[in-house]
Amino acid sequence: MTAKTGQRSGWGRGLLRRSARMTAAGIVLAVVVAVFLLPYLWMVSSSFKDQKTIFAGLSPFSWSVFIPVHATMSNVVALFQKGIGQALLNSLIVAVIQVGGTLLVCAPAAYALTRIRFRGRGVIFGLILVTFMLPAEALVVPMYGVVSGLGLQDTLLAVALPWISSVFGLFLLRQAFEEIPIELDEAARLDGAGHVRIFLSVILPNVKTAITTLCLVTFLFSWNAFLWPLTVIQSPQRQVIQVAIAQSVAAGELPNWGITFGGAAIATVPLIVLFLFAQRFFVQGLASTGLK
Amino acid sequence: MPSGRAPAGVQPGGGSAKLPPPGRARRRWRRETLPALGFLTPFLVLLLIFQYLPLAVMARYSLYDYSLFNPSQAKFVGAQNFIQVFTDPATLQSLLITFIFILGVVALVVPISFIVAVYLNGKLPARALVRTMIFLPVVTSSVVVATLWTFLLNQTGLINSLLQAVHLPPAGFLTDKHQALATIVVMTVWQQLGLASVLFLAGLQSVPRELYEAAEVDGAGVLRRTVSITIPLISRTTLFIVVVMTVFALQAFAPAYIMTGGAPEGTTNLIIYQIYQTAFQLQQPGYASAMSIVVLLFAIVISLIQMRLLRTRWNY
Repeated sequence: MTAKTGQRSGWGRGLLRRSARMTAAGIVLAVVVAVFLLPYLWMVSSSFKDQKTIFAGLSPFSWSVFIPVHATMSNVVALFQKGIGQALLNSLIVAVIQVGGTLLVCAPAAYALTRIRFRGRGVIFGLILVTFMLPAEALVVPMYGVVSGLGLQDTLLAVALPWISSVFGLFLLRQAFEEIPIELDEAARLDGAGHVRIFLSVILPNVKTAITTLCLVTFLFSWNAFLWPLTVIQSPQRQVIQVAIAQSVAAGELPNWGITFGGAAIATVPLIVLFLFAQRFFVQGLASTGLK
Repeated sequence: MPSGRAPAGVQPGGGSAKLPPPGRARRRWRRETLPALGFLTPFLVLLLIFQYLPLAVMARYSLYDYSLFNPSQAKFVGAQNFIQVFTDPATLQSLLITFIFILGVVALVVPISFIVAVYLNGKLPARALVRTMIFLPVVTSSVVVATLWTFLLNQTGLINSLLQAVHLPPAGFLTDKHQALATIVVMTVWQQLGLASVLFLAGLQSVPRELYEAAEVDGAGVLRRTVSITIPLISRTTLFIVVVMTVFALQAFAPAYIMTGGAPEGTTNLIIYQIYQTAFQLQQPGYASAMSIVVLLFAIVISLIQMRLLRTRWNY
């Protein structure tokens, strides 16, 4: 008898707790949607509105600001007439150089540091580790001097090249390489394989997750970079997308909100879609970046 | 190949015993050092050109009065640029503003992201959705974040429109010298919260479950368990997040460039923007390099702290 009532009140309490939990989750979700999702919705829906419609929804406030009611493609058309296509292409070229270069340069370096026992390994590792402490944005002025000295200023190559020897990329791959048992190397060596073959056919096929992570995070960094491309590129036809957006809001003149929002949305939405599909890689990769 | 040839040419205990050190050294050179160099050279060459060379160039620039248009007319000025860093009111203000900015970002990001991480580590529904949404700004460029917030905060923007809808007076935000810096602190917190929360979440998940179970048996409540178990055990994660956020805030540039231009009255003139303006608008890369060195030294101190932390990260 007592056991039964005890059970029933326990069940009732469980239900109460469950509804309290649902309420708490609902409140949290509402706050997060309002703070993090609505600004994006506003950006995207405003991309499909002209200046007048954007301001009409704001004063007085109406929920229609989040919905493109009288959708127009005029902003998108204007953006492509102003050359956003070229800016997107430039950013893509830079990102491809940077991702490809990072892999090409970091993977062999990580192999040497994890799989070959050579003299001076400690010194070289220290030399690399030290640069991990250098904040990239503080080096922009002398970096511009170096790039001009090489005759590379105002080229897309110069936007990507300085970041290819990525310490973050090296560390990420090094960690993945270390998890591969050394016995695999030894077995391959008995079969007569040299370092190049071990690298290509034993190590690389076993670190696909790390390589995917590195590619995605490097692409993100490259695509989102701002200060360095702003500094190194002067020709408008070589401008990358982030600089193009920044210049459309530049202080001084009244920006066209619809067009600026449109540019921001075009530059951001594809990346967000990529993020939604490959969230695990992005979150793990970015969490392991630490400083850079 | 070498291992196959050795038994045929060399008698066991014969000729090879005469010169073991040079032979071994040569073999070591051929089998280890040479391939290692081959694998490392591309990385090291780029590292020397784009990390070490700029350091040397920066050190040299900082001692000269120098113009990017006229590099041949550089004039040696010794420590003059460094004296200027610590006497020029605009630069001093910029350093101070950046310091306040960093403090503000860290002081807000750490507690808020901790609470978010505890939520994400709990059992409430829709956690994955919350994590995805707060991570959106982390994968958005700082340019787009600054652009979006410029319009959100505008006199006629979304936030003032909402304030008006609930009959509150509109706020100046970026145009008010008492609000501008606080506003970009809040924006940066919004931008970085997702990353800090995920880092905290990893820290929380590394705390052994048994500790909580034992504490629960002893009758410790949620608050007690948080204060006595969670916070001390994840203190390394906390410090790590402080360092990451500090270095991120130190390098902030887009807010000043896009949102305010350093205004009003220099209250948002972050140091990287001040460096950029000095080098490329005022054409004083020598002076800008001296500022960069000060920023660099600050970052190195912070990073040394981080490295100590990372090295001892897994020993509780």
